[in-house]
Amino acid sequence: MISALTVRIPTAVAPRVQPTMISMNGVSKRFGSFEVLKNCSVDVGKGEVVVVCGPSGSGKSTLIRCVNGLEAFQAGSITVDGIKLGHSTTDLTRLRRRIGMVFQHFELYPHLKVVDNITLAPIKVLGRARAEAEAKAMALLKRVGLAGKADAYPAQLSGGQQQRVAIARGLAMDPLVMLFDEPTSALDPEMINEVLDVMTELARDGMTMIVVTHEMGFARRVANRIIFMDQGQIVEDVETQRFFANPGSERAKQFLSKILNH
Amino acid sequence: MQYRWNWNILFVEPYFGWLLAGVKWTLLVAGAAWIIALAIGCTIGVMRTLPSRMARAIGTAYVDLFRNVPLLLQLFLWYFVLPELLPASLGHWVKRDLAMPEYWFSVVGLGCFTAARIAEQVRAGIESVGHGQRMTAAASGLTTAQAYRYILLPLAARNVLPPFTSEALNIIKNSSLALTIGVLELTGQSRQIEANTFQGIEALTAATVLYAMLTLCVITGMRVVERQATIPGTLARG
Repeated sequence: MISALTVRIPTAVAPRVQPTMISMNGVSKRFGSFEVLKNCSVDVGKGEVVVVCGPSGSGKSTLIRCVNGLEAFQAGSITVDGIKLGHSTTDLTRLRRRIGMVFQHFELYPHLKVVDNITLAPIKVLGRARAEAEAKAMALLKRVGLAGKADAYPAQLSGGQQQRVAIARGLAMDPLVMLFDEPTSALDPEMINEVLDVMTELARDGMTMIVVTHEMGFARRVANRIIFMDQGQIVEDVETQRFFANPGSERAKQFLSKILNH
Repeated sequence: MQYRWNWNILFVEPYFGWLLAGVKWTLLVAGAAWIIALAIGCTIGVMRTLPSRMARAIGTAYVDLFRNVPLLLQLFLWYFVLPELLPASLGHWVKRDLAMPEYWFSVVGLGCFTAARIAEQVRAGIESVGHGQRMTAAASGLTTAQAYRYILLPLAARNVLPPFTSEALNIIKNSSLALTIGVLELTGQSRQIEANTFQGIEALTAATVLYAMLTLCVITGMRVVERQATIPGTLARG
């Protein structure tokens, strides 16, 4: 069933040549009688940057958490790089190795130094040697502009620095996809840009990214496509420019007028 | 009433030796029970936070059972009732051949009771680490066991240190109930001194002071541990 609200505007550009990285088909999820996701279908190609936006409670975070199996769903299917997330049989660990995730509240491990935060999963999950994992961590810290902070503890860093460490931690697994769940929503305004800059660079380097965010400037600059959600449904899934110039749905117009006017 | 004070009684043999023996048995009961309480308590506490419904149900049943029956009654049940319920040969061994059954039953009884309290603190300690850390660990591909080993338990351990101090003090004080099934620990010895010398106030005062000294040692030791475990950059506790 295709929801009546869904507006799929045919794309004018040539069909994508990149292979599909993530494919969600008719995904539905409910908590009791409350439908969090209603029949959501999305394809994300390799190297694509997709921004998911919409009002609070519209199911954005739940949608991306389904991609790495942090949330179970009742109907539909999700395939990530050929691995199918079923209801119970999927090897979640194998799937999650390939997907980095950054959370709104950073969620660095407070008892571990920055470098150990980054190397924990590569050593324990991928079985890398410590020296190799640490060398990689140092390179990643340099990339996010925190080369000198390897031995600091998370509580000794600012929010923006913590979030950049969290991004480095996600990248340390050499992921095929990075998921960002409102990565700047918990940051002071001054620190938002340092995180967005890192993300922009990541996108330029060809990382496949799904970003839940209210940062419309970032979306306009970086995203290939915008997905607009409302009440658990994907209302729009269109090219970035088209979304900002002429959103197809009344709900998206309202949303944009509210969010862009200040 | 004429009361003849005689503080010297505490420092002459055999009474001085009795007090020392009391301290020794208090430490032996409380120490052994503490090991049992930590082992069972940490296991049950972790079980109550696991994804498995079965594990949580077992953990909850344990806590409900041991937390809701008075400790004194539990000791009586262990010592007087359990041997009768055991298979005949085992019951026979417990009653005839086990050396110091009153000691072992008080250790097990006190350990199992305290374990229920420890379990609740461990559960609270893990839950207060927060869902976000659990989710982050899962998202990075760590298994549930690895998430506990590297993230949840090290953080929970810091959360539970202050309540563990209280429990360590409780177990020392609660060990005095072992006298009811015949362990001559500190309280028991002081009552014995009273029975022999009629110097009850001196004997009980000595027990009081000795308990306070034991617990102050525990408090001091735990402070050191808490300070060692403080994460740099966070507000120090204690």
